[in-house]
Amino acid sequence: MTVETLVTEENSRLNPVFPVLIALAAWIVPGLGHLCLRRWVRALGFFATAGGLALAGYALHGEAFRPGSADPFGTLGFLADACSGVFYFLPRVLTNARPDLSHAAGDYGTRFIAAAGIVNLLAVIDAYATARGERS
Amino acid sequence: MVLFALLVSVALACLGRQTLAGRIKFALWSFALFLVIGVGVAWLMYPFSR
Repeated sequence: MTVETLVTEENSRLNPVFPVLIALAAWIVPGLGHLCLRRWVRALGFFATAGGLALAGYALHGEAFRPGSADPFGTLGFLADACSGVFYFLPRVLTNARPDLSHAAGDYGTRFIAAAGIVNLLAVIDAYATARGERS
Repeated sequence: MVLFALLVSVALACLGRQTLAGRIKFALWSFALFLVIGVGVAWLMYPFSR
């Protein structure tokens, strides 16, 4: 049993809110949850992959779905996109670049942004399970 | 497709394997399969594209 495993199991036993806080951190900034758990490689991997997918999506002029869509697929798209945390919210604030779906690249970009959210959702679940001591 | 395959392969490797060597092997294998299956499916769909 590694030191990291002992640390997470001890934290989870002492404070049941700990895994929830880790999951929240992992959602807000991809990789932050694993960073808090001292899983350096996984933290870097998830930050690079979720960030890379999201930034490539924005560079391709993909569309990030907004909340409150009348279309169920728009709502699903928003849920997927919003899972990438800071990579969903910050570009909306920092840039005024508009999506361009008139070219195939924009459509690919939309899928990249959604994939970033799905990757980060998997990372959040992994961080939560790790914080609970269910994964090493 | 190559960028997508690369990034998703790294993410899946981080999730699926615990050791660094295992992750690298898994990522390379997954990346190769993404490319081979992607190009293969594209070729299979080619006759129906017109």
